[in-house]
Amino acid sequence: MSEKLYEIISKTFNVPIEKINDEVTSETLDEWDSFNFYVLLDEIENNFDIKFDLDETLEIKKIGDFKQIFYKHGIKI
Amino acid sequence: MKNNKKLSYFLNQANIIKTDKIDKKTRVAILGSFSLNGFDETIRVKCYEKQIACKTYIGDYNQYNQDILKSDSKFYKFNPEITFLILDVRHIIGELFFTPYSLSLSEKEKFVNQKIEEINNLIITIINNSKSHIILTELQIPTYSPYGINEKNEQLGLKQMIQKINEGIRDKTKDKQLVSILDFNEFIQKNGENNVFNYKQFFSGDIKISIEFIPKFIDELLKFIIAILGMTKKCIVLDLDNTLWGGVVGEDGFDKIKLGDEPIGRSFVEFQKRLLGLNQRGIILAVNSKNNFDDAIKVIKDHPNMILREENFSSMKINWKDKVSNLCDISKELNIGLDSLVFFDDDPINREFVKEQLKEVLVVDLPTDSSKYSEILTGMNVFESGKITDEDLKRREMYSEQQKRSEFESEVANFDEFLKQMNIQVEIKKADSFSIPRISQLTLKTNQFNLTTKRYQEDEISSIVNKKNKIVECARVSDKFGDNGITGVYIVEKMDKEWIIESFLLSCRIIGRGVEDVLINQLIERAKIENIEKIKGKFIPTQKNKPAENFYQEFGFKKEGDFWVFNTKDTMKKIEHVKVIKNE
Repeated sequence: MSEKLYEIISKTFNVPIEKINDEVTSETLDEWDSFNFYVLLDEIENNFDIKFDLDETLEIKKIGDFKQIFYKHGIKI
Repeated sequence: MKNNKKLSYFLNQANIIKTDKIDKKTRVAILGSFSLNGFDETIRVKCYEKQIACKTYIGDYNQYNQDILKSDSKFYKFNPEITFLILDVRHIIGELFFTPYSLSLSEKEKFVNQKIEEINNLIITIINNSKSHIILTELQIPTYSPYGINEKNEQLGLKQMIQKINEGIRDKTKDKQLVSILDFNEFIQKNGENNVFNYKQFFSGDIKISIEFIPKFIDELLKFIIAILGMTKKCIVLDLDNTLWGGVVGEDGFDKIKLGDEPIGRSFVEFQKRLLGLNQRGIILAVNSKNNFDDAIKVIKDHPNMILREENFSSMKINWKDKVSNLCDISKELNIGLDSLVFFDDDPINREFVKEQLKEVLVVDLPTDSSKYSEILTGMNVFESGKITDEDLKRREMYSEQQKRSEFESEVANFDEFLKQMNIQVEIKKADSFSIPRISQLTLKTNQFNLTTKRYQEDEISSIVNKKNKIVECARVSDKFGDNGITGVYIVEKMDKEWIIESFLLSCRIIGRGVEDVLINQLIERAKIENIEKIKGKFIPTQKNKPAENFYQEFGFKKEGDFWVFNTKDTMKKIEHVKVIKNE
């Protein structure tokens, strides 16, 4: 069920979806720079109808971390 | 038409677009007091979509002072044509944004004046160091004031201080030709402060215009770019049934169409009023409708709630021909290029047909809901022009006269006879402060009959007008149907033995009536008197100036290298049907 999340990330960063998995970090993915990350946050907030807290956004180090936050907000993906 | 693409689209698209085949080029610098991430990609892609190849210089984070004040900065080396200076209110007024109580009234007044001076100094420095147009965003007036409900009771509240800074700058820049103000508060009003400003993004990355609204903000910048490049659309071509009124007049009948006091009818009335506003600003209107002429014209003439009447339309094609041939006819009749037309039609099939056949025409994708029409029209950024000249206001009238001329032309069988009966008069004048804005505008906008397509800003014209070795003159053309206004311009460099035509152009609505010959004719006469042997000029071909291609040759100029040369001793074409008035 991670498909929708991966799709958004792949589209926003403009990288093939095969390259996206829970372990991807800003170090392993060139396209993940600080500004692109804010763009991604915006996309995810809009697509999942969720608002991240500022401190939550700072904790995101790898793709899998999004799922933790979703879980916390009661969103099933 | 509504562009709701997100920032991520522009970031990705920016890597793909290829601009090397695009003629229209510009260089845009954006300087700001906050992070401008995403601006570069978005503006380049949005320009590309309008067929503009845009090179950009984006100032580093909060480096605008260094960029502007050091005359050897990267910014000046970039040599921008257009510079946007985007200053953020928090940055400009600092801690006062939160704690205006700390200053007394006189200190606040002093502060306001100091800020006006600071910003004005930046503007003047750019003017002195570059040739760039400068667009300054005005400071945002926040909705929240630390004075609370007493903001308006304070002698100089926070909002009022900011307003005073804005007004002060507006006063100082009003008379500067190259400076315009972007109404940032209008942008905020339209979109909402809480949407445009996102605290989380601000704290995270010093993003002052939220990621969601960057593309919309760039649209505001684009209006200026389009106006400065002279790419304003000139004419709106309208379908009738379900575009200017609800229903189909041929089926529903004169008194059953929706136009007036019920919800659907009101939406069409409002749309027509918006069109009328543009029409009065100088945008011309035309009709392209498949209809029985009598049915449709009765509505236009007699319907009590119709806002646009016959005199508002410079051309009316109401017939059973296809939309594409009607558009071509309108373009010919009004003598304006297809790329100056915007087409409104509720029928998607017609729209697709036009899009496919006439790529130059801007086709508006109207939704089925007529309540959205007005919003779509006012949201379009293609009708802006730099400065509204008297000619713009008169253009509408002149195009109506143009229509009468075309009709007259088809009535008179012989073209020479037609020209004789036209009573054409050409008044030649040296450029002066009244005509300079129009002259500059003509050099910026004229593409067809333009021998060198050199573009001149107003200040460039002003700076050469009084030089002894230059002739900068314009021609006002009138005929029995009315005044065409200033429609011809030439700039000549005078050398000892020869004159060189730097620029020679004619507005397309008067091409082919002998005016071009008359202008060159009198130039040669004058050269003769001053003992000049040769007049010469270049023809520089572009995609659009084919109509001028054979001008020199047909007049009798001889090709010598890159130049076309006329020996003043040779005999000239005589133009009998045009009367010339010379005004020194």
